[in-house]
Amino acid sequence: MPLQVLLPLVVVGIGAIAMALHLLGLSKPRRFADTDQAIQAWLREAPQSSARDAVLSTDNQAALIALSDGFGLVWCFGADTVARPLGDATYHNTPDALIIRFSDMGAPQAKVNLSDQDREIWHNTLGIS
Amino acid sequence: MMQHLSYPDVVSYAVPLFIAAIALELAWIVIKGRGGRYETRDAVTSLIMGAGNVASGIVLGFIAWGFFMLLWRITPLDLGNSWWIVALCFVLDDLRYYWVHRFGHRIRWVWASHVNHHSSQHYNLTTALRQTWTGTFTFMMVVRAPLILLGFHPAMVLFVGGLNLIYQFWIHTEAIGKLPRWFEAVMNTPSHHRVHHGRNARYLDCNYAGVFIVWDKMFGTFVPEQDEEKVDFGLVHNLGTFNPLRVAFHEWAGIFKDMSQPGLSLRERLMYALAPPGWSHDSSRQTSDQIKQEHLRDHPEDRGAAGFN
Repeated sequence: MPLQVLLPLVVVGIGAIAMALHLLGLSKPRRFADTDQAIQAWLREAPQSSARDAVLSTDNQAALIALSDGFGLVWCFGADTVARPLGDATYHNTPDALIIRFSDMGAPQAKVNLSDQDREIWHNTLGIS
Repeated sequence: MMQHLSYPDVVSYAVPLFIAAIALELAWIVIKGRGGRYETRDAVTSLIMGAGNVASGIVLGFIAWGFFMLLWRITPLDLGNSWWIVALCFVLDDLRYYWVHRFGHRIRWVWASHVNHHSSQHYNLTTALRQTWTGTFTFMMVVRAPLILLGFHPAMVLFVGGLNLIYQFWIHTEAIGKLPRWFEAVMNTPSHHRVHHGRNARYLDCNYAGVFIVWDKMFGTFVPEQDEEKVDFGLVHNLGTFNPLRVAFHEWAGIFKDMSQPGLSLRERLMYALAPPGWSHDSSRQTSDQIKQEHLRDHPEDRGAAGFN
């Protein structure tokens, strides 16, 4: 197929599919219903770990997971979830969120939306000054 | 000997079919309320990966083509281009695909290219198009060398490879359950390929087939979809990015980061590139074999069951 036909076809095709999905409400972000759901999402990624407790973010899109040997973060990613241990993570504050950066090109960072009250809880738990 | 033989670029001609089938699958899921899931950014990432795959073929395709034509000049054999030679080429190329695909899951250097195809947690027709941009760098074109040296023209080999890719498009769906028993016995199907995309311990590293599932049955890598264990799609450690550049290159970056750690022996550095994904010099990660063994420690009742032989 000539490139001058293929290229517009691909661009229009991707655009049309993206618009249809968005208009159908399929861009809606996922949220955890409660801490149990967040722990289940963590265990899906790390079934051998012992998740003892969870603290949800203000918007229920992320949760700090207390493990027997440290902490992990599980967060909503599109319609699904991703989880990473916080061993080598670095923390950066913005006015409304805690940005957690990982040394991982496949999961470079997570934005955790926190109210002032929740920020204090997360900071105290993680020992961030 | 034939020097000039040309076939249509079937993959590009199939693009309108791909778009129409995605629209149909989406409509089915929305209307019926079952048969799979779609999410906007996931689907767009998959589609961009597909477009990038075509673009990388245009930019880098000359490398494989030059290699194949060099082999074609060397070989004294020419099987011609009759229909049954094309059919034979299709079957043998599917055997080639099986092994390249198996290497793609068992050698990290090749996995670095193939991983992006498994990087969606969804399993729909857009996932089929989530294809590599870096296939050329795996050097897996050498696995096609025997076909060309046997006398199959390079254009024919690429043509049947395109047909193979088109066949595999429609099996990336949850909308189709199991097909008639005779078909499931011989052909790769949505059910068999769902298993291949599973991150469950049971479903890791199996069902490598492209078109004919018989290769997996012959080489001991077949695992049937279990009614009692739903497939959990994605990677053992799922990606947290929709950025196509990160999707395409993250495992390559991981290899180079691991290989360049201080204090490793030369063997350890090479193992980070050539050992199965998950290998590490300090056993801090797990290969799929180790994940299965760990599962069996917790669930000894699964020993000998499908996927745990």
